[in-house]
Amino acid sequence: MNMQQAIKMTAAETALVDAYTAQIGDLPGDGAVLSLRDMLVDELKTAGLPTRRVESWHYTDLRTLLRAVPSADPSAFADRVDPIVPGSSVLSVRNGQADLKSVPEGIAARSYTESLIDGSAVAGLAVLGADDAIGRINGGLVRGGLEITIAEGAEFQAPIEIQVAQSHGQAHTRFPISFGAGSKATVIERHLSTNAEASFVSSVSDVTLAEGADVIWIIVQQQGPADTHLGQIRFDLGKSAKLHLFVINAGGKLVRQELHGRASGEGADLTLRGINLLGGESHTDVTFTLTHAVPHTTSSEIIRNVIFDRARGVFQGKILVAKDAQKTDAKMACNTLLLSDEADMSAKPELEIFADDVQCGHGATVADIDHTQLFYMLARGIPEKKARAMLVNAFVAEIVEELEDDEALVEALEGVISAWLEKHA
Amino acid sequence: MPAVQETIDQVRQIDVDQYKYGFETKIEMDKAPKGLSEDIIRLISSKKNEPEWMLEWRLEAYRRWLTMDEPSWARVKYPKIDFNEIHYYAAPKGTTGPKSLEEVDPELLKVYEKLGIPLKEQEILAGVEKSKIAVDAVFDSVSVVTTFKEELKKAGVIFMSISEAMREHPDLVRKYLGTVVPQSDNFYATLNSAVFTDGSFVYVPKGVRCPMELSTYFRINERNTGQFERTLIIADEGAYVSYLEGCTAPQRDENQLHAAVVELIALDDAEIKYSTVQNWYPGDKHGKGGIYNFVTKRGDCRGKNSKISWTQVETGSAITWKYPSCILRGDGSRGEFYSIAVSNGHQQVDSGTKMIHLGKNTSSRIISKGIAAGVSDNTYRGQVSAHRKAENARNFTQCDSLLIGDKCGAHTVPYIEAKNSTAQFEHEATTSKISEDQLFYCLQRGIPEEQAIALIVNGFVKEVIQELPMEFAVEAQKLIGISLEGSVG
Repeated sequence: MNMQQAIKMTAAETALVDAYTAQIGDLPGDGAVLSLRDMLVDELKTAGLPTRRVESWHYTDLRTLLRAVPSADPSAFADRVDPIVPGSSVLSVRNGQADLKSVPEGIAARSYTESLIDGSAVAGLAVLGADDAIGRINGGLVRGGLEITIAEGAEFQAPIEIQVAQSHGQAHTRFPISFGAGSKATVIERHLSTNAEASFVSSVSDVTLAEGADVIWIIVQQQGPADTHLGQIRFDLGKSAKLHLFVINAGGKLVRQELHGRASGEGADLTLRGINLLGGESHTDVTFTLTHAVPHTTSSEIIRNVIFDRARGVFQGKILVAKDAQKTDAKMACNTLLLSDEADMSAKPELEIFADDVQCGHGATVADIDHTQLFYMLARGIPEKKARAMLVNAFVAEIVEELEDDEALVEALEGVISAWLEKHA
Repeated sequence: MPAVQETIDQVRQIDVDQYKYGFETKIEMDKAPKGLSEDIIRLISSKKNEPEWMLEWRLEAYRRWLTMDEPSWARVKYPKIDFNEIHYYAAPKGTTGPKSLEEVDPELLKVYEKLGIPLKEQEILAGVEKSKIAVDAVFDSVSVVTTFKEELKKAGVIFMSISEAMREHPDLVRKYLGTVVPQSDNFYATLNSAVFTDGSFVYVPKGVRCPMELSTYFRINERNTGQFERTLIIADEGAYVSYLEGCTAPQRDENQLHAAVVELIALDDAEIKYSTVQNWYPGDKHGKGGIYNFVTKRGDCRGKNSKISWTQVETGSAITWKYPSCILRGDGSRGEFYSIAVSNGHQQVDSGTKMIHLGKNTSSRIISKGIAAGVSDNTYRGQVSAHRKAENARNFTQCDSLLIGDKCGAHTVPYIEAKNSTAQFEHEATTSKISEDQLFYCLQRGIPEEQAIALIVNGFVKEVIQELPMEFAVEAQKLIGISLEGSVG
């Protein structure tokens, strides 16, 4: 290993490197996987965690914000919990280890640990670029996860819940998932902690949609109040593939959720909806990039943030329209309710456009609750606290309701939101 | 779609090879040797008979600059600049500073005549229909003449070159210089602080409404020189001033550097309106030559209810790196930024603004229109931030881009930062050819397609054009080459 030391490592950086060194003989995979891990950890050592000088981490100075990393504890144990939507098929990963006891029909799943051991995971382990700190940490330390293949034309009535539960310590998981042509499914990627002890979680999902696949992918992040969650989803949309990506952040102390996509087949369509509920002293960053690589692709993004207390919200969204990707239609909006004078919100919605025959736009707003709306409700005798709660709820519920085709799903997500609001508002 | 076609044709017509102001004037010059050192700075300072504190200030900036790195975050690409290959001082021989018009070299006057800049006061006064504009003409490193000085003096307005001001009003200069853009601000501003050679100085006293438009015309003429000018405008309590800036340069194969600093200070209830029509040589159609325009412009709304408004029409320069900003420090202050940036050929534009809300009840408005053609890249980069105590900060931002051709790029990079729940920020950006929705809306109301398109194209930049003073609005429209008024039907 190249032991070049460029920076003075912080406690968190040291803890991550130590976690690697301590497990080195024990982490699955050797040969190419091992040398890639070595390289990634080495990069972490020399470059350190990203600071605000790294443009894509401008508002989340991970090096400063990440004060400590709990050490990995192989004896950690998380119980399986009920799925969010009753009747879902559950695939669970607890404390980083896949549980393959009940794989629903039509799904081919195997433990990602096996892919690490047989070396087939190596190609997917590469980072997305020099700024990909999540890919680097995860690639260096990943132990498990699930590799899932959805057969061509397969359709599922009930949602598939990928339940990633953690009690404490560290977990680094990966989910390479491919949807066959014409398949149709709803997947809930759920991250939760089973107690209030601090855990450090990184998770990378690598999702591919073949021609005509129609997928609803929902990320529900419900980590504990002391947790660090570094999540990333990479997705590639084939010809006429349709992805409705829905992200709810309702937990964690330090959260960065990255969404990196590419519309690479004509007629591909992405709908992204995000709800970020922030309270206490938490910091939640949603960073999104989408490349419209070919002509005739569409996307629409709406992110709603609700920020209480001393929390800090970040949204970075970048839509890139490649040269020749004519007839792209992309719209992005980020709306924030800033409900405390000690809270703050930073937004950077970017457009990068290299084709002329396109329709692209973005909008961003930051404001408190509309006083005329509040007045309207007070005038009708609704107490202020309740009126505020109703307005906040309406602000986010609007975009959940777009999933109206699945009533049970809408109800479940509304449940997640109202449970959070009851606790924090 | 004829109107669109017309727009496209007109933008093509202002193809970079048709730069009208590319002539070079043979004038005997007094130049400092190439390169940058403390000695060169001492030379500049002594040429200008500067007070000792000014030299110290420059040297301090220079020493700091040596420790700084060139910024790399902007979306522009250019070969590394050799800062030792530049003449930091070049002045037409025999000019030690602006003097009366009769004493100015007639060759120089011809230059401005050719550029269409009115320098002869009598001529202007004789022309009944022409409105009066006081001009400070800066040729390479020095101000060669400032018109209407006497008339302005009667109103109490000080308008002169900054070198002259340093000698005649040292206290004012010392009090305000570097208070908006400090020496250490950024790489180019620091370089400017060390080597700036001239620029304009304006002071409008309490309660005075400046009786005419003030303007500075910058001309780069000499080869291998850089132009580093510094402008300082102060509007005292209740004062008002409108200031215009224009610039051109000869057509050359080498790139030339222009790194200016502009500082505006508005005290209580004062208003400053700053307009720029930037038409530096943009390089030829293969991207050869052109000006690197790396400029730091910032206004400080220091007093309560003060207002600063920036309007810019950017058509020239090979590279533009420019973010006229407002610091909204005074309660109730207001900042505005109106911009049209047209890029063609191989031009690269990375421009925008910053609105920093610090005081209570401050408001800002940003309207940016980018038009990209050829193989150019046009980026809007802007920041709007409300600090903890900026109660009721209000911002509206709109940045629209129009793309002409499929080889150019249009980018939008806004930073929106709110640290106060009473802040209300709205930002919207669009990139398109012509909006089908808008067209549909017009058609539905019985407006024929051709007229509807004209209407939309007109509307695209009009919001900004109408912010310019009349004379500049006409020039700007000509420059952009898109005849917006009555282009169709």
